[in-house]
Amino acid sequence: MSFIKVLILKFSSLRTQTMASSDKTINTDVPEKDVFAIHFLQSLSNLTTQNPFNSPDTTNYRARKIKKAAYVSMAKAAGGSSRLWSRALLGRAAKENNKIVRFARRKRKVTWKISSKRRSDQRAPEATDRLRNLVPGGGTMETSKLMEETAHYIKCLSMQVKVMQCLVDGLSPK
Amino acid sequence: MLEGLVCQESLDMSVLERLKWLQQQQHQLQHVVSQSSNNSPELLQQILQLHGSNNDELLQGGFSQFQMIGSGFGPNYNMGYVPSHEAMDGCISRTSSCQMDPVDAMDVLLKNGEEDKPISLKNKRKAEVKTREEEKTEKKIKVEAETESSMKGKPNMRNTEASSKETLKEVSEIPKLDYIHVRARRGQATDRHSLAERARREKISKKMKYLQDIVPGCNKVTGKAGMLDEIINYVQCLQRQVEFLSMKLAVLNPELELAMEDASVKQAYFTNVVGSSKHSIMVDVPLFPLDQQGSLDLSAINPNQATSIEAPSASWETQSQSHYNTSSLGFQY
Repeated sequence: MSFIKVLILKFSSLRTQTMASSDKTINTDVPEKDVFAIHFLQSLSNLTTQNPFNSPDTTNYRARKIKKAAYVSMAKAAGGSSRLWSRALLGRAAKENNKIVRFARRKRKVTWKISSKRRSDQRAPEATDRLRNLVPGGGTMETSKLMEETAHYIKCLSMQVKVMQCLVDGLSPK
Repeated sequence: MLEGLVCQESLDMSVLERLKWLQQQQHQLQHVVSQSSNNSPELLQQILQLHGSNNDELLQGGFSQFQMIGSGFGPNYNMGYVPSHEAMDGCISRTSSCQMDPVDAMDVLLKNGEEDKPISLKNKRKAEVKTREEEKTEKKIKVEAETESSMKGKPNMRNTEASSKETLKEVSEIPKLDYIHVRARRGQATDRHSLAERARREKISKKMKYLQDIVPGCNKVTGKAGMLDEIINYVQCLQRQVEFLSMKLAVLNPELELAMEDASVKQAYFTNVVGSSKHSIMVDVPLFPLDQQGSLDLSAINPNQATSIEAPSASWETQSQSHYNTSSLGFQY
């Protein structure tokens, strides 16, 4: 179990600076790698303790579980409920596990533009619609808000990818 | 002098710049008006020329001013100049279908700049709101014929304001003026909906620029659609990477699971570590009530330096390896 510690050591030595947002009006600060690493490792350990794999199932099943754990840990690390996409992710994951997650109520601006989009389905799938499908929770967001969420989501995703890459590098047989 | 201003207007300026320019214009026009009362025909012709390049805020008000000036000019005015007082009304009704009201232009041009002075001090948006309010109040003062014409003009304006943003032509071609060209320019400013929409569009473009800095390789593509495609592509790539890495981890995982023997120890470790989010993780390790294995030496750790981490890690590794070799995992660093 010390391999986890070793990996965490590697992460702390690879510490990156906090990404300062150049634009002060848009706040997309993302916590450092360590936070992501901690959450991810925690979720991984939870995974394995829950289902002790004595006889390994198919790799696909495990891969899917790990992917889910990665997304959930990413959502938690990125600031649990302070971002729309993270809340949507956590809600989605909770639904799959038949659990109910409650978040603090936030004011929801329902814009008339969104409702008009729903009515006319004849519009060709625009780029913004595709983006909405990609970013979790993007179905009912204003376009400007969608852009903010996309920026934060991209930053968190890249951070998570770095963490996972470090993990794989650390664990791969040399 | 005035022609120079007309040429300047043909450039694409932002609203703020345009307002400032208008204010300058106001001052100059006041100056011009105050100077000459004898050159009324030339003056009015010049003003007509300028009209085409003005904003709506100017055009929609101060007809009363014009009337005043018209009466002030008196006989001079009626003699040599085509749009006399009576002809003016005819002019108004004729031009109602066309988007231009030269009369309005003259009114506004001759209006005092006192309404525009506070504009420059305020925010861009507030300024436009204020001028729109001024227009609304001015409308009530106007002559009815003019209000009718302006009301007819307004719905046309709303239809065409979003259509094009081309430059204006000269006023002298009043009846032949392109309907779309003129109104697009003016409609940009006055219509409440168009203003809100423009502000929203600018917000979105600002955020897209921010995204452009984040996504690598977005600089080469210009235009909203291309950039959005790049961004979507990037997000898809990242998601695929996560999936791929999770697959890789799943392959490596069976080796790891056997290593995770002590669940309780591990969880205690994690709860301690998670407690400090930003500090180096090494700081917490000495606090950890570890050592059901008991073989790890934590005293050698210097918590505040990242560089010294490598030294204790070596000792950890050797000790852990000795510990785990007994369980014969075959797990190697």
